[in-house]
Amino acid sequence: MSTYDPEKAAQIHRDLHTHLPPDPALRVKTLESLVVERGLVQPEIVDAWVEAYSEHIGPKRGAQVVARAWTDPEFKARLMADASEAIKDFGFEGHATGHLKAIENTDTQHNLVVCTLCSCYPFSILGMSPAWYKSSEYRARAVREPRKVLAEFGVTLAKDVSVRAWDSTAEVRYIVIPQRPAGTEGWDQDRLAAIVSRNSMIGTDRDLDTGGE
Amino acid sequence: MDSLHDLGGKEGFGPIPIKSGDAGFSHEWERRMWALNLNLRGNTGSIDWFRHGLELMVPKDYITYAYFHKWCANILMLLIDAGYFTVEDAAKAAKNLRNQDPTGKAPSVTELLENYRIRNTDFTVTLDTLPRFALGDAVQTKRFAHSGHSRLPAYARNRQGKVITYHGAHLLADDGAKGNHLGEHLYTVSFAAPELWGLDADPRDTVTLELWESYFV
Repeated sequence: MSTYDPEKAAQIHRDLHTHLPPDPALRVKTLESLVVERGLVQPEIVDAWVEAYSEHIGPKRGAQVVARAWTDPEFKARLMADASEAIKDFGFEGHATGHLKAIENTDTQHNLVVCTLCSCYPFSILGMSPAWYKSSEYRARAVREPRKVLAEFGVTLAKDVSVRAWDSTAEVRYIVIPQRPAGTEGWDQDRLAAIVSRNSMIGTDRDLDTGGE
Repeated sequence: MDSLHDLGGKEGFGPIPIKSGDAGFSHEWERRMWALNLNLRGNTGSIDWFRHGLELMVPKDYITYAYFHKWCANILMLLIDAGYFTVEDAAKAAKNLRNQDPTGKAPSVTELLENYRIRNTDFTVTLDTLPRFALGDAVQTKRFAHSGHSRLPAYARNRQGKVITYHGAHLLADDGAKGNHLGEHLYTVSFAAPELWGLDADPRDTVTLELWESYFV
């Protein structure tokens, strides 16, 4: 049973710092060997999870949701009203999407998602977050100078575009719905999904690349 | 808690590691760490105790360890705290690492993905009291947070914002970190950038946060 005692927790952290070699790969192996030995985790399930996150749970899911929202107004209305419910159409519900909100970019508003306090992310539709999303640099700067951050990602904004940074501090998670690019009229959902970048659903990409067509 | 985790608006950081940090995982041990985490949530207490554990890390380690290295240190701490093993056990295991022979039957990835879908946990709670604020209301955040786990970042304290969404009552993170499950009304509040960062900030821009009712004056 967890003690919920912060003084004790801080002391254990200091003891681990002192008594454990700092190599992270060795530390993770140590953790794995201990939890397997204590029967807390089946060793085979670790491999299965690794495969699930490599092959199945990733940003292609979010891209399918966006492509459908672009082409199916009835779905889009449901997605904007309650994204957690709407993604169940695809079976994409899961870890950290119980309170999902879809936020839409417009001609006059750009949206950017960050978690300044930790690393909250809608895992079941976007997969593992990129390392930069979890970096101190992004967490510190996205709320204070979002325009400079966007410029580093190569995003240019028209003059009348406001920027809203969504700092997720509770269990509410966000997916940005980027604007559908011009010239994609008549494309089917698969073709549209292929141009929806992971970063555009976080908000660090804005004008999607249609492959020069 | 005013520790180094509260990074929003801190200055002095350089460029975002966009290219070098594009991948979610860059080492096998990171993938395994994530997989272990997914299997150990039932043994490590509440989600907010997990987050508070990260905040309680040795400050120098928090700022220098790679992301999943922090998670490893934290989960070791949480399991030691919960009595599954000791710091000495961990130090010994690190010394004599041996490979275990896998036993038992691995679940198929299809089974796993099916189980994954039920992880979309609902954090809402039914409350008898009515929310104090309505959409469009101005709210003022408190000047101080307590030294436990809180989701009111330093940059948004003693600031005025506007309610843009009401989410119903959600489990209050501050209490969750103490192992309690209390609900409180939760709102998304929008702050004008100059209110947070001063007059240099772009008046067109806003920052939103999810804030519980007790974070307001």
